[in-house]
Amino acid sequence: MRLFTRFLVVILLVSVTWICGLAVGAGTAAESAKPAFALPTENVTIEVWWHEYGPFTAYVKELIEAYKKLHPNVTINATIASSTDMNQKLTVALAAGTGPDIMDADASYYVAYYSKGVLEPANLDVFGVKSYQELAAHYVPGGLASGTFDGKIYTLPYQGNSMSLFINNKLFAAAGLDPKKDAPKTWKDLVALCPKIRKVEGKRTVQKAFEFPYHSPRWQLQDLQPLTEQFGGKILSDDGKTAYLNSPETLKALTLWRDVTRACGDPKNTKSTASNPNQDFVDSFTAMWITGPWATPQVQASPIKNDFTVVGLPQVDPSKPHTMVYGWAWGVNKNRPEKNKIVAWDFVRFMLSKPDEWLAKAGFVQPVKGVSETEVAKKFPFFNVHMKDVQTATWYIRSENVNEIAQTVGRAVDSVVYDDADPKTALDAAQAAAEKILKK
Amino acid sequence: MKPRSLRRRHPLVTYPLLFLISFIGLLPFYWMLSCSFKMNEKMFLMPLQWFPNPINWSAYGDAWKAQNFTRYFLNTAFVAIAITLGNLLLASLAGYSLSKFRYFGRGVLFLLILSTMMLPLEVTMVPLFLIVKKFGWPNTYEGLIVPFLVEGFGVFLMRQYLQSIPNELIEAARIDGASELRIFAQIVMPLCKPALAALGVFTFREAWDMYIWPLIIVTKDSLRTLPLGISLFMSSFGTAWDQLMAVAAIGTLPMVLLFFFLQRSFIQGITVTGLKE
Amino acid sequence: MRLGASVSTKSRSLWKPFRLNIAAKQALFAYVILLPTLAIIFIFRFLPMLQAFYISLTEYDLIRPPRFIWFANFIDLVQDPLFLNSARVSITYVVFSCAPVWVLSLALAMLFDREIRAKNFFRSAAFMPVVMPAVVNAVVWTFMYHQDGVVNTILGWFGLDPIPWLRSSRWALWAVIVIGIWRATPYYMIIFLAGLQAIPQKYYEAAQIDGANRWGQFRHITLPLLKPTMLLVMVISVIVAMKVFAVPLIMTGGGPADSTRVLPLFIYQTAFEFFKMGRAAAMSVFLFAAVMIFTVFQIRLFSRGEDR
Repeated sequence: MRLFTRFLVVILLVSVTWICGLAVGAGTAAESAKPAFALPTENVTIEVWWHEYGPFTAYVKELIEAYKKLHPNVTINATIASSTDMNQKLTVALAAGTGPDIMDADASYYVAYYSKGVLEPANLDVFGVKSYQELAAHYVPGGLASGTFDGKIYTLPYQGNSMSLFINNKLFAAAGLDPKKDAPKTWKDLVALCPKIRKVEGKRTVQKAFEFPYHSPRWQLQDLQPLTEQFGGKILSDDGKTAYLNSPETLKALTLWRDVTRACGDPKNTKSTASNPNQDFVDSFTAMWITGPWATPQVQASPIKNDFTVVGLPQVDPSKPHTMVYGWAWGVNKNRPEKNKIVAWDFVRFMLSKPDEWLAKAGFVQPVKGVSETEVAKKFPFFNVHMKDVQTATWYIRSENVNEIAQTVGRAVDSVVYDDADPKTALDAAQAAAEKILKK
Repeated sequence: MKPRSLRRRHPLVTYPLLFLISFIGLLPFYWMLSCSFKMNEKMFLMPLQWFPNPINWSAYGDAWKAQNFTRYFLNTAFVAIAITLGNLLLASLAGYSLSKFRYFGRGVLFLLILSTMMLPLEVTMVPLFLIVKKFGWPNTYEGLIVPFLVEGFGVFLMRQYLQSIPNELIEAARIDGASELRIFAQIVMPLCKPALAALGVFTFREAWDMYIWPLIIVTKDSLRTLPLGISLFMSSFGTAWDQLMAVAAIGTLPMVLLFFFLQRSFIQGITVTGLKE
Repeated sequence: MRLGASVSTKSRSLWKPFRLNIAAKQALFAYVILLPTLAIIFIFRFLPMLQAFYISLTEYDLIRPPRFIWFANFIDLVQDPLFLNSARVSITYVVFSCAPVWVLSLALAMLFDREIRAKNFFRSAAFMPVVMPAVVNAVVWTFMYHQDGVVNTILGWFGLDPIPWLRSSRWALWAVIVIGIWRATPYYMIIFLAGLQAIPQKYYEAAQIDGANRWGQFRHITLPLLKPTMLLVMVISVIVAMKVFAVPLIMTGGGPADSTRVLPLFIYQTAFEFFKMGRAAAMSVFLFAAVMIFTVFQIRLFSRGEDR
């Protein structure tokens, strides 16, 4: 391990030297092994847009400052918007032919952007590789799957989040349970724990044992997808053209969702919102909650501090684990001047060059090789659990119509949970709607 | 103040009713302020804490420092004032034209102006953005202000109000030899104080509230408006409820101040004069 | 009267082609003062509106160029249960938030149009809902509608069970409607107040001398003279209610189960989350048509007595 870390450090140093050498316009011995490639030396101004999240914003601003020091001829203008607003802002800008050089979007949105021809493929020279496969080899298997279209890589993820089970230690202890020994491995285990943890006073739920998300259809699909896969099914075919929303497996998944909710949660009583999905957990209102490693800094800043445990996503069959990974990625706008695009990709490369810093400062896990071996990863709470869930994961569904499908699924879930609708009827309706959506 | 004929009623009915109305009107404000001074842990206690105990004084300072709120505040104030003044002037002129004069096309033009109110901004946003881009106005104050300098609503309101002003008044002034502009400025406008006050308050609020348009047109942080700042703040790092309420309270302040200012000079002043004698 | 048509006796004998008569001068003045407004509204509102109409006849995902498909969007929408649901939600919202507002705001205006002690305080307090910015409004009310929040606490004072306001497909829309009424009533109250105070005192005095009682005065003086104001309030309140967007977006996002997915919200999501701008524009055309028909109808209804 020691050797490997040293090896990583050397690679980093060499890359930094290489960049400096390029910036000064001089060649070094290391450079001669790379293809002839020059970063523009004239003044270039690029725009980067990203969505707001405290630690993330702070870190990117740091990276901007650092890059400017290395390349004084480059000016980087930043625009930040909330994640719900960013999509609209970006779409209107692209529609009007403006928009940033570097965009930040959820990986599933890029299908739409790719099909509309606004993405620039990764600049192989900037990354010092000869082919897209070589670039992909730096990442864990499947790490770049969401950004690859027609064999070319168009986006690079700065986070690949698995969704794992966070447990509030104090609430567990108060119920006489040990988070290490009693943490549920299967859904059956989880439901068995709930009567001990959930507290109801009259008609009010004072404390929940576990809750599924209801603040956004996207999160609902994010949780339903692995559930369906755990039963052996799929939500969407790999080519994104066929939906399986009313398959027997999806039906089992939704029924499980409902049964777990009835035993463990109270969807009518929640403070979590689209901009604060983890609120109930952070407020110690629910003892268990499914979220990603990026929530760790937020939990640590709350009254819970470090008194929490993370275990893998509960499974139907622990011998065949299925989890889900999603992520946000950087993409480069095709409709910008050549020199902008080169600088943009170089800045993306620069930003992504230190995965351990992303982990330490923002809690973001990049699906890149070697992260687990860094010092930061070793100190990050339950990093191995997160990584394990990443390794057994499939990416969140990819489709041009991902938002519409998510809304369709969310509709089915809401009607089953809030209105006691029959899951089969709800899913049949969802499937019919999905087929209509996918036909267009 | 002269009491009007419809006015005498049982105080037993009137005053409790007024208190009830005041309570309903003020409740969310009180709650917002109360929560902004509460400690986060006590925010969701049952039974509810109506008065914060202990008092948390830090929320306002912390929240304000978290973002560039001073700048956002000033931007929003500038834009809102400009739009309000523009509306007050242009809508009055247009309303006067449409109500007190007869000319070819008057009805059609009025309907045209009215019709522009009926489409939601979401749909006209993209074409509007393209037009504004042609003027070179993205990321400028002009881009934020000019498309909203006058709106159908203001024209409609002024027209309706002006209709109730007797024509004799204007005719008399014309016979006396006053120019049209003088009639407008010195006779008609002073009579419109209530409508102007109403229009001013509404326009200012809508301008202060503007969210989608600044979102689309502004990329520089230095031009960001307060609603965008609040939205950004909300999604920043998990809600510190006390800070969120503090920011909300500060965002409400200008409107409250504006209203108190207007209250005194406009609405209160006209009860004595009525229209004529 | 047309520009230049001479009816005036004063200028007939001195008629010269370029001197405008009085009526024409007035008309010219009217055009000139209308011009700035017309220009701004035409460029920044009307043109985009025409463009939106055009887009409704196309398939447009905002990035690739629009593809003309005639009326396919409209035909499709009329059969789409989600669109019909959205229309239904919007109409429900408009009816149940506007009608009470009309009545309440007039009643409140009349309440305030009289001699009251501490009038300023009461009037300011009643007016406060208008003063709250939309985003703040949505956030604070979300807070208040929470299961253990203020609204349920007050219900508890009357012995009622707490209602899961925002987390129930039955109640969520009512929660939004209450906010709509709360926010709109004081505003139209002020407009009615302004209208009431424009009615000259002497009309009432004359009617009293003629022996009319309070109800008679209301029917024969107040109501007729308030007609322009009533038209204004009714039309504006409907237009504003049809466009309401911020509160459903921030408070519920259209849920649960589409119960608060008002049309503007659905249009927004269709355009910017589903990338179907053509469809969104078509929905807006429906919305536009509905409001336009209502408005024209109202104007006709009210203007029959206008010029007397």
